[in-house]
Amino acid sequence: MSRLELYSPEGLRVDGRRWNELRRFECQINTHPNAADGSSYVQQGNSKVLCLVKGPMEHGANLAAGTKLDPNGPVLSLNINYPPFASNERKKRPKNDRRLQEISIILKRCFMKTIVLKNYSRTAIDINLTVLAMDGGLLACFCNAITLALIDAGISLYDYVSAVSVGLYDQTPLLDMNALEENDLSFVTIGVVGDSDKLNLTLCEDKLPLDKLERLISLGIEGCHRLKELMDLQVRVAGGQLQERQ
Amino acid sequence: MASVKRQRPTDGLAVTQKVFVRSRNGGALKIVREHYLRDDIPCSSVCCDDCEEYYRPSPDGQPSEPILSGEPLEITKNGIGRHYLILDTNVVLNAIDLLESDKVFYDVVIPQTVLEEVRNRSYPIYMRLRALCKNDDKRFVVFHNEFKTDSFVSREKGESAQDYNDRLIRKCALFYSQHLAKHKLSVVLLTSDKNNIEKAVNEGIRTMSLHSYVSLLPNYSELEDMLPSNETFSRQLTEISYQEYYSPARLMGGIKSGTLFQGTINISSYNFLEGSISVPSMPKPLLVLGRENLNRSFNGDTVVVELLPKNKWKKPSTEIVDEETINSNGVGDEDEDEVVISDQERRLLAEHAVAAQGEDQKVIPTARVVGIVKRSWRLYVGQLAPNSASKDQVGGNAAKSCFVILMDRSLPKVRIRTRRARELLGKRIVVAVDSWSPTSKYPDGHFVRVLGDVEDKDAEQEALLLEHDVEYRPFSKNVLDCLPKEGHDWKVPEKLDNGDPQLAQRRDLREKLVCSIDPPGCVDIDDALHAQRLPNGNYEVGVHIADVTHFVKPGTALDQEGASRATSVYLVDKRIDMLPMLLGTDLCSLKPYVDRFAFTVLWEMDEDANIVRVDYFKSIIRSKEAFAYEQAQLRMDDPAQQDELTQGMRILLQLSKKLKQKRLDAGALNLASPEVKVHMDSETSDPGEVEVKKLVEANSLVEEFMLLANISVAKKIYDEFPQVAMLRRHAAPPATNFEALNDMLRVRKGMHISLESSKALADSLDRCEDPQDPYFNTLLRIMATRCMMAAEYFSAGNYGYEDFRHYGLATEIYTHFTSPIRRYCDVVVHRQLAAAIGYEPLHPLHRDKAKMDLVVKNINKRHRNAQFAGRASIEYYVGQVMKNTQSVHEGYVIKVFSNGIVVLVPKFGVESLIKLESLGDIRTSHFDEDLYKLTFTDKNGSERQVSVFDRVQVSVTSQLDEMTGKRKAQLLLA
Repeated sequence: MSRLELYSPEGLRVDGRRWNELRRFECQINTHPNAADGSSYVQQGNSKVLCLVKGPMEHGANLAAGTKLDPNGPVLSLNINYPPFASNERKKRPKNDRRLQEISIILKRCFMKTIVLKNYSRTAIDINLTVLAMDGGLLACFCNAITLALIDAGISLYDYVSAVSVGLYDQTPLLDMNALEENDLSFVTIGVVGDSDKLNLTLCEDKLPLDKLERLISLGIEGCHRLKELMDLQVRVAGGQLQERQ
Repeated sequence: MASVKRQRPTDGLAVTQKVFVRSRNGGALKIVREHYLRDDIPCSSVCCDDCEEYYRPSPDGQPSEPILSGEPLEITKNGIGRHYLILDTNVVLNAIDLLESDKVFYDVVIPQTVLEEVRNRSYPIYMRLRALCKNDDKRFVVFHNEFKTDSFVSREKGESAQDYNDRLIRKCALFYSQHLAKHKLSVVLLTSDKNNIEKAVNEGIRTMSLHSYVSLLPNYSELEDMLPSNETFSRQLTEISYQEYYSPARLMGGIKSGTLFQGTINISSYNFLEGSISVPSMPKPLLVLGRENLNRSFNGDTVVVELLPKNKWKKPSTEIVDEETINSNGVGDEDEDEVVISDQERRLLAEHAVAAQGEDQKVIPTARVVGIVKRSWRLYVGQLAPNSASKDQVGGNAAKSCFVILMDRSLPKVRIRTRRARELLGKRIVVAVDSWSPTSKYPDGHFVRVLGDVEDKDAEQEALLLEHDVEYRPFSKNVLDCLPKEGHDWKVPEKLDNGDPQLAQRRDLREKLVCSIDPPGCVDIDDALHAQRLPNGNYEVGVHIADVTHFVKPGTALDQEGASRATSVYLVDKRIDMLPMLLGTDLCSLKPYVDRFAFTVLWEMDEDANIVRVDYFKSIIRSKEAFAYEQAQLRMDDPAQQDELTQGMRILLQLSKKLKQKRLDAGALNLASPEVKVHMDSETSDPGEVEVKKLVEANSLVEEFMLLANISVAKKIYDEFPQVAMLRRHAAPPATNFEALNDMLRVRKGMHISLESSKALADSLDRCEDPQDPYFNTLLRIMATRCMMAAEYFSAGNYGYEDFRHYGLATEIYTHFTSPIRRYCDVVVHRQLAAAIGYEPLHPLHRDKAKMDLVVKNINKRHRNAQFAGRASIEYYVGQVMKNTQSVHEGYVIKVFSNGIVVLVPKFGVESLIKLESLGDIRTSHFDEDLYKLTFTDKNGSERQVSVFDRVQVSVTSQLDEMTGKRKAQLLLA
């Protein structure tokens, strides 16, 4: 069995990046103007995620019958669609994959802190995520895609939430891990509010030495800031186009 | 954290590679990987100023610097000038030793492509190459050519991976030569692929083969020898592939027609590539040599073998072979040409084989394994191979393959996949073996659990029990439910006429002066004795054995558990009971001052210890005293003690001496084993000191009467149950077993052991005395013991009466009756005896021959395992004792190999190998096989001879074997 050098002594990662480099990040908003109120497409390296947002509306389509709307804010419902072709091993995921359910709960919590709740009492917001290809950074891609789609849907947010995963190779933190690295190393995913140092999201499913965590997070925050810039750029481009059309 | 300069490589060019790999189950698996190209990869040359800005500090602030010297080696011939070297994969693989030499190869560039190829082909060489890159003096650099825009090329359609890699390497060489041209530095690509050389020359790259390059060097003559013999030599790094096993039908047919042989393979503990297999049709075991011939068999497997052609018959190796000394294709592996021979030839061969063995040539027929009937796989204890876990310095989460080195050295390494390699390093772990496919050199297995740290007392103890397949878990609830409800309060009924017909049959012997004599600290007292003078001048002698079968009724869960454990196991500081504590140490144990049920054998003996009458019955006794051996001895020796109990004991002693003399006259053997006892510090339970076991007369007193009881009972149950009586036999050793020993004796000492009968053997052993060396006789006895057959249990129907003989005790019939608390055999015998005297009917379980055979087989196996476990436990503790001390002791050479000797140190009862390397110069050594003599020049330069039976001074230390984690005695000639 051949194993790869995940981080060579020369300081290069398995795909040729250095430790503090993000993968190629591309995003678009308003990709599906007719299908939803807000939509976005996010590509981080080879991970590709599509997000559609419907709402705010009076009845959520995804909501279970009898769910009461909340007078203090919107009811978020999150649906993740992870087709078999998206990952390397074509395996069918069960309907209620525990991991995806957990992720959707985490994302809901994160965005309930980001949406300006008081504007959306007694409404429902449906978020649909579709994974087109996955090469690491699942949660981070979701988070970034939702942020953009919510912005596209015109839902008022306090700020961007940009997310990225950071892993640890021996003593070296690695920014924005791909699937190969994620398989082998411990990592933490963090989501940062705008340009601040506030974390709106952290998820670590592996063991990590506690004394390294701070270093990972500080590297992650810088990565998130950079992602936020890129997303902001794209939002402004889309905004510009909208203006032109009107 | 300091400011992070982050560059998005998207500014450059990102290439996405798609690779299609066929997965194992036949489906296609699409693997897509990103691949970022960048400019900022430095060329690492000191004189290059273009790359200066590309040296980035590592995340922890270590600056990186150019490595390749500005003044590399200059070769004037062929106009090469000052140059760097770029190596191709085949050069690295073939000439890694040369690369590591400090005479040549400085300023070398290893392209990333090569590094990865090497990694895939051979991990050890990759590690060595990486180590070279860390070495500052050698100035090796890895150049990540595939990540640099200027040196990357895309794979073309239809291009093979090999060709693509070659092209990448050439591109890399081209890049370097252009990049460094302005600094007047050239680059030489070394490859041994002719095609590649041709293509490279066409592309204008200076390319050479390793040979032609080295021949240009000024110190060529020195290096010549280090060159790999043949340029085109390609190392076969693929794992060896074993021969497929024959089909079951072919195996069955072959065994029937006498062309194939079935037996249990036994792998030498000195040489793991040498197995032997005993087949009924051959007088001597067949040899199975080499990995390929052993063909994936484990020690103890039942296998089918086929004889090899006569020209491959061999002598057993006189070498010691450890797994660690053998590299992938080292010694012991046969060059395996496919041998095809017909059935007829095979039959002929078999005849030759018998003949060859008869002629006493030293050549032994060899065989190879062609099928496995039954695997002996079980759970194995071992530890992770140190190099397989340090492999990754990083705690990865992905499962990795690691090797587990098993504690039993005659077994191969087991490959397991684990995510916790680093965690498991230095721990004793349990693994199970799953499969061994013909294409893999080592078997595959999986991790079961961790026992604890290596050398940790509890972990080692558990390991030892597991390794010897000893059941050590606490007794289960349904077993414990079979015990009397009263627990420790159980009492012998007050009244004997309470209506219980069985109780009424018991004789009341509570008035007799019974006592027990046991080792100090013994709590499970099986036996007690009494003797008194009868009015007619004869003696009445009673042996009382704990009546275990009163509590352990056949067919109950308790009985089944006992049958499966079959014996108690005695470790240095722990006892694994066959029966629950309540029975063993209380209710059955013949403790003093309380009433206990017993099974009594009562003799009437005359003055000369001849048996006048014998009687067997169940009884109730009340032991008057429990003595330790020494205590009993002191009491008997003390003339002031004139009470009746002591008198009785003296009668016993006196009779036992006579019994012993009779036994010795009949030819009973007095054998020896290098057994020692470890004293434990009572407070810290650390092993204190080691002592050779001492015997006093009282030992022999008990022993004689127990032997007598066993023999009497054996006769009784055989009379009653000639088909199923549980007996014990000890076969006479075949003369061949003693051949080697006798030859050594003849050559070295001019002595001889005769084997006509046990009497002759006993006498000849007595004669073998060396006046200069009082220990020699004991040494000889130890060695003779090893030539003996093992005694075994059997049920009477399986052998003819003449085969019942117990050779060592020189008696016609024998069984075990006297220790039912710790041996299951005795339990069965008790039941049979009880049935024979009409106490109760015999349970069908012990009447059925087939069932008895199963019981017997299990008892034999467990008994052997228990002995091994006990010995291993002593060995471990002796190792712990020696850990703290180093001392010089007397030792005896008991075996001589061509590359080492085996020395026994009586003081510790340990024997260990001394390899020739540690003795002296290997090259000047001479091994005289006929004289069992090894001549060598020792470390001081003086000539030294060592031969079998020599007394030598050895310094004894104990050393932790890194590979197995076992502490072993390390001996050195002093």
